[in-house]
Amino acid sequence: MPGSKQKKGAQAPFSSPEMRPHHSLKKKSRRFFFLLALFIPTFSVIGFLTIYPTIRGFILSFQNYTVFNIRRIRYIGLQNYERVLQSGDFGLILWNTFVWIFFSVLFQMLLGLGLALLMRKPFKGRGIYAGFVFYPWALSGFAIGLIWRWLFDGSFGIINDILIRLGIIERGISFFSDPVLAMVAVITVNIWYGFPFFAIMILAALQGIPQDVYESAWMDGANPINTFFKVTLPFIRPVLINTVLLRVIWVMNYPDIIYAMTRGGPAKATEILSVYMINIVFYENNNFSKASAVGVIIISILMVFTTFTYLVTNTKRMEL
Amino acid sequence: MRKTLLALVLLCVLFTSILFSNTTLRMIQVFASPERTKIIENIIEKFEALKPGVKIELISPPYETAVSKVNIMMSNEEPLDIVEVSDWLLSGLVSMGVLENLERYITRSEQAKYWVDGVVEAARTVNNTAYIMPNAIYVKTLFYRPDILEKYNILGAPRSMGEMMAICQYITNGRDQYGYSYRGIDPVNFMDLVLCSFFNDIDPACMYKTTSGKIIFEDPRALEGLKFYIELYHKASPKDSISWGFDEQVNAFVSGLTPILFQDPDTTALLNYLLTTGVYKTAPLPVGPGGKVYPTFGFGGWGIPSYSKNKDIAWEFIEFFNLPENAAYFCKEYGALPVDSRIYESDPYFGSAVFDGWAAMFDDPVTYQITAYPIDNELWGEWFRLQGDIQERLLMNRMTPERALQEFTNFWKDAGI
Amino acid sequence: MRVKKSVKKTLKALALGLYLAFAIAPILWIFLTSIKPPEDIYTFPIKYWTEKPSFDAYRYLFGFAKFSKYFGNSVFVTMFASIVSTFFALFSGYALSRFRFKGKGFLLIFLFFTQMIPAYLLMIPQFQMFSGMKLTNNLFGIIIIYIGLGATFSTIMSKGFFDRIPVSMEEAGLIDGCTRLGVLFRITVPLLLPGLAAVFSFSFVNNWNELFTAALFLDSDAKMTVPVALYSFISKAGIQWNVLGAGIIVALVPTMILFFFAQKYIIAGLTQGAVKE
Repeated sequence: MPGSKQKKGAQAPFSSPEMRPHHSLKKKSRRFFFLLALFIPTFSVIGFLTIYPTIRGFILSFQNYTVFNIRRIRYIGLQNYERVLQSGDFGLILWNTFVWIFFSVLFQMLLGLGLALLMRKPFKGRGIYAGFVFYPWALSGFAIGLIWRWLFDGSFGIINDILIRLGIIERGISFFSDPVLAMVAVITVNIWYGFPFFAIMILAALQGIPQDVYESAWMDGANPINTFFKVTLPFIRPVLINTVLLRVIWVMNYPDIIYAMTRGGPAKATEILSVYMINIVFYENNNFSKASAVGVIIISILMVFTTFTYLVTNTKRMEL
Repeated sequence: MRKTLLALVLLCVLFTSILFSNTTLRMIQVFASPERTKIIENIIEKFEALKPGVKIELISPPYETAVSKVNIMMSNEEPLDIVEVSDWLLSGLVSMGVLENLERYITRSEQAKYWVDGVVEAARTVNNTAYIMPNAIYVKTLFYRPDILEKYNILGAPRSMGEMMAICQYITNGRDQYGYSYRGIDPVNFMDLVLCSFFNDIDPACMYKTTSGKIIFEDPRALEGLKFYIELYHKASPKDSISWGFDEQVNAFVSGLTPILFQDPDTTALLNYLLTTGVYKTAPLPVGPGGKVYPTFGFGGWGIPSYSKNKDIAWEFIEFFNLPENAAYFCKEYGALPVDSRIYESDPYFGSAVFDGWAAMFDDPVTYQITAYPIDNELWGEWFRLQGDIQERLLMNRMTPERALQEFTNFWKDAGI
Repeated sequence: MRVKKSVKKTLKALALGLYLAFAIAPILWIFLTSIKPPEDIYTFPIKYWTEKPSFDAYRYLFGFAKFSKYFGNSVFVTMFASIVSTFFALFSGYALSRFRFKGKGFLLIFLFFTQMIPAYLLMIPQFQMFSGMKLTNNLFGIIIIYIGLGATFSTIMSKGFFDRIPVSMEEAGLIDGCTRLGVLFRITVPLLLPGLAAVFSFSFVNNWNELFTAALFLDSDAKMTVPVALYSFISKAGIQWNVLGAGIIVALVPTMILFFFAQKYIIAGLTQGAVKE
């Protein structure tokens, strides 16, 4: 994808100099309507199903929607935001969110990169291998959470059983009664779920690197490690950055695994913002207003983060 | 000519009235499981056979999403005619104004005369008005495994909290045998049962107040109770049970890892499936140093949305569902305690050994004082979460019991009970 | 030299093996659970292999639990929504890749922005809208929502694929007198097929597993989808692990089949335009 050839390809052809002289006013308006027609399906769906409800959700965050207030919904200003930001656990929840995202995405990327490099050259059975090694990504989040909660269990979980049989530990570790271990457990599961996505994206990007670049690098006597940092990494950099960004966004908004495994416990040790949001809905009389306030906070954090990343990495293209 | 026209019109009217006499009722349950769905469907089938032209469509949302779903559906006045209202849903739905007042139906109903003690009060939890027709009650009792206890030469179930502590500690080896398993995800009121058992003067109308109107968490007996509760975890419980849900808790019981369990009657259906008859038994809840114990009355019932267009037929079905033979079938298969006293006498199952625990408790309402939770308080959901969270902090030694009681007291002072 | 090479090969095989073990161990355990009788599921000590393997859970799944009906619904909803959103993405991705116009940068940022919106923020407003339009408890209502869920990411992806196809071929077609749409379908789409397979697979996986919207928006038993049905095996009285396990295994089959067929495309599709391998 980032090869020089494709960059040329990305230029818009219909506004290329050779074609511009033919543009009459009529043609221009025809071009406009054609463009419009191409966009209408997607953007009407997004407008109708995402943007409009988001605006409604934004409004909701300034109201007092709970099951008890449905007949008397009114605006309460910033009260929901105040309640969220001033709650004693908000700092902890933010920190948890950061830890969850950072370690999940970091290891998803490293493991995905490793697998992509291993699978780069075709080998016998690569197709079937890919089918099996990528499948975690095809499971639903709640099923993943349930399965792994069982695997990690201190008494009935096979992880402990295997460790005991191997003589590594003497008695079962109860992962979910320790704040740190609980976080380790949920992040491990998220890595397991997310590394195939990275592998697929990186694998694709790797295959886009022209072979001659490597050949010239080898001619210059570069060793594999050198080649990786000098050739491979720069080429897949845009894909890496964009995939990381996308994953950060998704992982931030992905409560399923944690919810199924710990509900944010023990004692809020694994509660991240999106889990907090669900807990508000379930335990505070369906307080969708307060939950929406958390949602708006999530969006704000992500917007700041994305802008910052693009500025720092100087990436211009928002694509995959 | 005019006559034929009239006849034609009449025929048309008759035809359309036959066509439209087909009524479909929409009914939603909140404790769905594949088995429970089948049971309710069987009762529906019987009703439909009696009432040609009436169809009932049963909606069975996944258990964990059911409460939210009912709330959202009802607040948007989605078509529904019969709605199962759990104790958790009741006050919210009433304040939404979407539940029909059922007093006029219930006062005329024969069945209400046979309700066991406490059912009327349960139905009238909110505003002292019956918005639901209870279909089952859920009271916790002690489940135990005589086969496991006998291995340690222990006969019978513990009768007091002290005995329970002694037994649990005695058999716990920290590896493959423990006494009791806690529960972290949605901790159902085990903490309250232990803590309150240190009292002898809990207000029957409110678990968290004494009869003199004091909040129990301010009382020194609460501290003793809480310390007992924490000690039991550290000395006799699998460490990870702090994060267990119902599933792990019951399976720890089934596998024999923890042979003592406090649970609701719906556990019997699962235990009957997983264990052969007689392997588990029930006994009354152990009484505390206060000489009493305070089980609560969980309940579910059928309500009718106030915007339903088929209220009378809906009521007919609800009454049909609660007929002794149907209610007995439902309660036996699903695992719940019937609300109709006639069933306990007529159906031998409810007199069998499985029900020893409940029978003994209901016989002695002074010692086993059925006590209500303040579920009509708007902050009940938040309380549930706060209590669960603090429970975990307590068990992990991240909060002192004194501090916890302070938080509990503050919460209820703010919430106002 | 040869020794070094074979050592390298062994190490590579070992690493690949470790990845595979890490990936499949959990599902292997679930499969073993699904063929256990109920009393062998939670045992102490753990039983890895039951002496009485049976497919009762699968029979229960398709008999008592009417799983085939839910499966049919899921296939219908998922296929319908994924195909439509892939088509939508084809058009908008094409427009974003091939045209230069004011506000294009903004549109791209906007698409990224929509990915940031948490599902629970949309839930109540969406439900109120759909309830007002009488589109709740309707498979088409769910399909519309899934199209919306998939359209954004599919557009971002498909734009990427278009970018990798040389425009020279389209220009040639245009000069030959084809219309733009004609060029798109006759020349570009065939080249893009692998990419479209990838876009389709991504939405398929997401739609196939979507749980919370379906659980809220669908009521009737006759309209349940697979994730909702699986979720229903968790009741107040615990989890039927053997049945749930069987359900998870069965629910994996379509996506696994899709992966086997599409993985070539997914990998190749993203490399469209790369001349050499």
